[in-house]
Amino acid sequence: MNYFTELSPLLPELILSALVLVVITVDLFLPRDQKWILTPLTVFGLILAGISLPIVWGTNANLLGGFYRVDDLSVFLKGATVVIGILSALFAPSYLRTRRLPLGEFNAVLLFSLLGMCILASASDLITLFLGLELMVMPSYVMAGFHKTDRYSNEGGLKYFLLGSFASAILLFGISWTFGLTGSTHLNAIAKALSQGGPTPGLLVAIGFLTVGATFKAAAVPFHYWTPDAYQGAPTPLTGFLSVGPKLGAFAVLIRIFVDGLGPIKADWLMVMAALAVLTMTGGNIVALTQSNVKRMLAYSSIAHTGYILAGLAAFAGASTSATAQRGIEAVLFYVLGYGVMNVAAFAVVGMLQRDTRRFGGMGSFAGLASRDPWRAAAMAILLLSLTGIPPTVGFFAKLYVLVATVNAGLGWLAVIIALNAALAAFYYLRVIVTMYMRDPESEPAPIDHAAAGNLGLIISVLGVLLLGLFPDRILELLRVSAGSLF
Amino acid sequence: MHIPVLTLVVFSPLLGVLALLLIPGHNHRAIRWVALGAALVSFGFSCVLLGYQVGGPEFQFREDYSWIPAFGMRYTMGVDGLSVVLVVLTTVLSVVAILYSWTPIQTRVKEYYATMLLLMVGMLGVFVALDLFLFYVFWEISLIPMYLVIGIWGGARRIYATVKFVIYTLVGSLLMLVAILAVAIAHGSATGNFTFSYEALRGFSFAINLQALAFIAFFLAFAIKVPMWPLHTWLPDAHVEAPTAGSIILAGVLLKLGGYGFLRYAVPLLPDAAKSYAPIIIGLAIIAILYGALVSMVQPDLKKLIAYSSVSHMGFVMLGTFVFNAQGLQGAVFQMISHGVTTGALFLLVGVIYERTHDRLIAHMGGLNGKLPQYAAIFGLFTFASIGLPGLSGFIGEFLVLLGAFRFNGLVAGITTVVVILSAVYMLWMFQRVFFTVPSDWMRRFWPSLKDMTRLEWAAVAPLVVLVVALGVFPGPVLHLTEAPVQRIIETVNGAGGLTGLSLPW
Repeated sequence: MNYFTELSPLLPELILSALVLVVITVDLFLPRDQKWILTPLTVFGLILAGISLPIVWGTNANLLGGFYRVDDLSVFLKGATVVIGILSALFAPSYLRTRRLPLGEFNAVLLFSLLGMCILASASDLITLFLGLELMVMPSYVMAGFHKTDRYSNEGGLKYFLLGSFASAILLFGISWTFGLTGSTHLNAIAKALSQGGPTPGLLVAIGFLTVGATFKAAAVPFHYWTPDAYQGAPTPLTGFLSVGPKLGAFAVLIRIFVDGLGPIKADWLMVMAALAVLTMTGGNIVALTQSNVKRMLAYSSIAHTGYILAGLAAFAGASTSATAQRGIEAVLFYVLGYGVMNVAAFAVVGMLQRDTRRFGGMGSFAGLASRDPWRAAAMAILLLSLTGIPPTVGFFAKLYVLVATVNAGLGWLAVIIALNAALAAFYYLRVIVTMYMRDPESEPAPIDHAAAGNLGLIISVLGVLLLGLFPDRILELLRVSAGSLF
Repeated sequence: MHIPVLTLVVFSPLLGVLALLLIPGHNHRAIRWVALGAALVSFGFSCVLLGYQVGGPEFQFREDYSWIPAFGMRYTMGVDGLSVVLVVLTTVLSVVAILYSWTPIQTRVKEYYATMLLLMVGMLGVFVALDLFLFYVFWEISLIPMYLVIGIWGGARRIYATVKFVIYTLVGSLLMLVAILAVAIAHGSATGNFTFSYEALRGFSFAINLQALAFIAFFLAFAIKVPMWPLHTWLPDAHVEAPTAGSIILAGVLLKLGGYGFLRYAVPLLPDAAKSYAPIIIGLAIIAILYGALVSMVQPDLKKLIAYSSVSHMGFVMLGTFVFNAQGLQGAVFQMISHGVTTGALFLLVGVIYERTHDRLIAHMGGLNGKLPQYAAIFGLFTFASIGLPGLSGFIGEFLVLLGAFRFNGLVAGITTVVVILSAVYMLWMFQRVFFTVPSDWMRRFWPSLKDMTRLEWAAVAPLVVLVVALGVFPGPVLHLTEAPVQRIIETVNGAGGLTGLSLPW
């Protein structure tokens, strides 16, 4: 067997693995005042991994005895992973430095989590899938509790860990039921077994467990209770990552399990998915509406976004032709990418206003930001408008995509609920804009973090948000191919 | 060489915004001149559109480029007579608003002008887009700047007012987005050609069920904007809190986006639904006309009075639109133009006195005629225009709408004609209390320092004076331009069968 041909499609994962080791090692030998080097090193490594993606694009092969599948879908997800990773690596350092938190550990933990996301994206077997999932979430628990002298961080980390482990166990239980009923852990084999016989009551139980486990990771209502505490306790830029990274992973899981594995019986889980979507977006929005802390508001709103993405999966299930079903998957992918960029950046801005460590992302920090730092306020306003879904931003196009997919699938009622929810969300997103632009600064305004890395990250994100919103065509082509690799 | 006139009209304000970014924020003079220059350039290009060839192809000055082919979205622009008049109205009123802001706006000047210019981009884009998606993008773009204008430069309760404005509008427009998608997808799956092109979608006979539902969504979006009773409650708040220039644009142009939406999209795309829903909408329009007039009578605040009179006047627009005959529709379009000019000017004039006394209560005024004769004269002119005095623009629109209403139903016309008297009551009574009678004690405090219209204020209002007289005496050119689009709407509706055989899922 030729190991080279077997391993070359794993290039991005290999680069990431090597990068983790390099970062950990270099960290050991760097004196304290030179730790900043780790950030450019991490970003450089991630860019390398990103460059390797076009090389493996179009491979579409099963590897490692069928346990691993490098298809265009996985490459797209890995691309989104790398983007989120780069932004997170840029946003975090200054915030961590102010609080004397270790940068080396952060980079290592981040990279481990990214690696887990990449493995998840390529899992074609429930075992690999579980492996990737755990590799992704273990570091997330660490990130939630990263501020180890802060009791909110401890609380959030512990809650996240306990509930997360619980959910993993449920998922694992579902996997074992599925194995028992279909005789395989291979997603293809499961799909084949399902397309021959219809769903049995036992299988429905298994699907129930899988759904609960996976939607827990995606923070869907009613499995979202860990989210606000974990998100609030974590250092803010890390919250940004937690709100998008594991979510991307969770949707990779959902796509792999529900589309690859349970695709043949999609009519049976359509209503479950649609109901979850409605519950999640409405629940998240209503609770976000009542928050006065911006960080917590963004945490709840991330639940609402999960709901919109779930609607994309429901559109897949509701579609009658494979072309319209593919639209649903494309919508999920586009939303995950766009949401990743805008949400990481929005949390980063909250973090930038926490230069004073006694600030916790309250609304007051934002008061009069437009007159104190017009560019940052404008950037935040664009990000918030994008999260609301106002053109010409990526957030608008992402919602549009989901709406197209749902209407296409004949789920017009779901589209109407999404539209109403988007209007509801405008309430609380615009509140931040109101505070930034229409209120006077506090008598002692929050100091602003002007670190170069963070500014660079912000510029990249805002440009990305606008360009992807105005000229999404290139990405749409990639999406079409990558979603197509599932069908 | 083909000059992309429409792109230039729509995007020259955006170039102005970019230029503004380069000017230091404290250089107010340069900022104001650049903003005015950008608006004037846009106005200049919009005058080119007046060369629209009546009798030529329906949409002229067309531009059509591929934008997002994966979704069949195109950058398609073009104008017919209806768009031409509204585009010119928009550029004129924008120039007026920017000119008028010269002295009143002294805080965050750079942001202010950038926002106003962005607002122009959105509004102009709505009137020239011929692709439903492009239309929607411009529609939403026009929303945010207005939100900022009210929220930053507005009065005491500005935040409440602006959030109400945004949320109202957003609910309507997001539902409209779903309807746009539903319409495009229905067309796409029937013909295999997934497109948002207005010309392709128009004339496709959509399923009755889809029409019934999609029309409701379009109706909500446009009726909120117009605003129609009972969806009007955001309007008085927004107007009272908005800075003067914001009110000029809001009343002058933004409300017309709703009227335009009905004429351009809701009715031609979904004629069966429009035909069947017409009686309900006419009923609402009559209520709006009556209600707006009655509520105007009792308003203590000058600006609120004019805001409620807008509800009444825009009710005429809706009435004229949905009686579906030539006089009614022509009158509706003309009324939109006339209302834009008249009400824009009235809001500007309210701003003039507000700048001097920082008060708008009618009870606090009185006797201004003696002290400010020029102001009184010009206010009087627009008061009469608003009432609909023959020879001024307001008369033509209202008269045509009433003619259309008579052809439709005598009772409807009868009720509406009575309201014309009511409008005379509230406007003249207001004029009397403000300009005649004895000055209030409150006003006397300002008496020594009270100055008549400045040159700048004259410059701002002058174009509107010219228009209100010119349109009243020579309505021909405008009616000539809008004749063909109106005829087309009538044909579409006459050819439609209405919502027969409707079977909704509930």
